[in-house]
Amino acid sequence: MLLRDLYTLSMHNLFLHKIRSFLTSLGIIFGVGSVISMLAISGGAKKEALAQIDAMGIDKIIVYSKAKEQSNTSSSSSTSVLDYGLNYSDQNNILKMENIKRVTTARRLRTPITKGLETLDIELFWVSLHFQEDVNCDVIKGRWLTPSDFENSSTVCVIGRNVKRKIFGLGEKEIVGKTITVGKSNLKVVGVIENKADTKLEGINNLNDSIFIPSTTGVSIFTEYEMIGSISSATIHHVENDLFIVKVDDLEVIDHTAKRISAFMGRAHKTKDWGISVPLNLLRKKEATQNIFTIVMGSIAGISLIVGGIGIMNIMLANVYERRKEIGTRRAIGARKRDILYQFLIETVFLTILGGLLGIGLGIGIAAAITHFSGMPSEVSVISIVGSMAISGIVGIVFGTYPAWKAANENPIKALKAE
Amino acid sequence: MSASREIIRLENLEKTYFKKSLAVPVLKGINLSIYEGEFNGIMGTSGSGKTTMLNILGLLDVPTGGKYYLDGDEVEHFSDDHLAGLRNRKIGYIFQSFNLSPNLTIGQNIEVPMIYGEIPKRDRVKRAKELAESVGLGHRLNHRPTELSGGECQRTAIARALANKPAYLLADEPTGNLDEKTGEEIMRLFHDLHEQQKVTIVMVTHNPELETQFNRVIRLRDGRVVSGND
Ligand SMILES: Nc1ncnc2c1ncn2[C@@H]1O[C@H](COP(=O)(O)OP(=O)(O)OP(=O)(O)O)[C@@H](O)[C@H]1O
Ligand SMILES: [Mg+2]
Repeated sequence: MLLRDLYTLSMHNLFLHKIRSFLTSLGIIFGVGSVISMLAISGGAKKEALAQIDAMGIDKIIVYSKAKEQSNTSSSSSTSVLDYGLNYSDQNNILKMENIKRVTTARRLRTPITKGLETLDIELFWVSLHFQEDVNCDVIKGRWLTPSDFENSSTVCVIGRNVKRKIFGLGEKEIVGKTITVGKSNLKVVGVIENKADTKLEGINNLNDSIFIPSTTGVSIFTEYEMIGSISSATIHHVENDLFIVKVDDLEVIDHTAKRISAFMGRAHKTKDWGISVPLNLLRKKEATQNIFTIVMGSIAGISLIVGGIGIMNIMLANVYERRKEIGTRRAIGARKRDILYQFLIETVFLTILGGLLGIGLGIGIAAAITHFSGMPSEVSVISIVGSMAISGIVGIVFGTYPAWKAANENPIKALKAE
Repeated sequence: MSASREIIRLENLEKTYFKKSLAVPVLKGINLSIYEGEFNGIMGTSGSGKTTMLNILGLLDVPTGGKYYLDGDEVEHFSDDHLAGLRNRKIGYIFQSFNLSPNLTIGQNIEVPMIYGEIPKRDRVKRAKELAESVGLGHRLNHRPTELSGGECQRTAIARALANKPAYLLADEPTGNLDEKTGEEIMRLFHDLHEQQKVTIVMVTHNPELETQFNRVIRLRDGRVVSGND
């Protein structure tokens, strides 16, 4: 028998009892809805974590300076010196360790950059040669700093995508070749870079809002001693480096390498004026929590699908009971047992698939709402939609078979006597 | 009548219901033949086993003893599916309370046996329309049973019973739920079918006034045929 014919024989009932059908499907609707939204959110989170890794590369260990709250042994004057963070000997010692390919450094200028009286939302870093490569920035105009810039301590800079607008406004067309003044120094712009992933590094707000100069230039035109605060109660910060991006040779033992760096830093620094992070571990941690989330939500979804299925079975059993006379009549005019079975089974499956469709809509809505209100990324995958449809169908078959079997095996004589 | 072909033969047919250990014999050895083109009535007091016999004739119920030959074949060993096929093609069943599907239109109700008979959609629709017209309901095809009178519902049921051109019609008190006038109209329709289309009909009735309208009245009493078996 064709599906279309089965439709004629049975489906009208579902539309006759629209509200009842809808209520019956609620379990499926919520079950599928939570499956879809859960998968969308964990998919989105995973994608975000991967994007971060993508930007940095997974073969990196980040070591960074942490500012101290107060001075250690303060001198008699009101001016104290804060001496903290990563230093050159740290860098050299790390470089001597096994499994280290290179250490890329960055030092942030703490003195604010101004334009007239206005303080600009821009930071300046003096960085080592491979910085652009190791933070995954693209050169969109001009060039990156060259080895000769470093050798000659050239007064050149490369700027982040947003810097031009912040310093020159929207009017300026060609930026490469222009000069930027920071403090007393004039820096010639040689290139513009862009960080598509908007990577956040420890101590760096946004690479697109920053100016980069060769580390050699930085050391010669700026000072590692910077005075912060008012004249009366200024603090002098002495920091040699803010950031090491440690690139390893062998990813397999990255954890081991990170531990050794940690141990070394612990020995070399009396206070905890430094921090360390391994992006790969962040991803792993994220995955672990994701998995717990998936298991919990999956169980909830599974339970609501089972409860929904039982609800549907219940309604279908009532339906079979109510329609005994119809069943008897149909048997009398030539329906085989299996015709009756298919009729009721298809009705249940249709109900659950319809519920599944509504559930998919609900799930997409929930995922979009969560993204909208909490900013958590989400991504509804085709596989989750196809899978949900399949699950809905399977729930229909699993929970529809017994009522359909019961309908098919009604004694036609007794069924005909039913009112 | 013996010139006609014998469609049904019952030989010493018995039906006993078992309620727990208690045996309730209802049919106690029925011998009966029904011939092509007959219009027979089955009469008897309430509880005499008329419906029971009709259900057996309609292949819905199985006898507990004796033999039932349909077109010369013993039906006892037929499979469930085969019986369903025979009910579908050979028998047209008509009920006292019409038994139409309320959610289907008149046209669709008439189509139902043809769906089980796997008649192609186009032929089905065409035949349903012709049948509806032949019982005077051509203009009601797209209505639903709730919008029709009792008489119209029974006409629909008769059209449905005729859908697969059955060898015979079985009707259990088809006028029992209708008023006198409507009942007469339905009887006229049966007579028309009998006379014009040579349909074989077996009808259970309580109504003694109809007695004269049948070719033969099969009278049941205490589980036996007391008159009318030839
Ligand atoms: N399933 C059953 N179990 C036990 N006894 C039954 C069963 N079905 C019918 N009977 C009995 O069989 C007898 C005949 O029933 P049947 O329905 O055939 O009578 P009937 O002649 O059609 O009566 P009516 O004119 O009232 O419709 C009745 O006494 C009834 O109680
Ligand atoms: Mg009866």
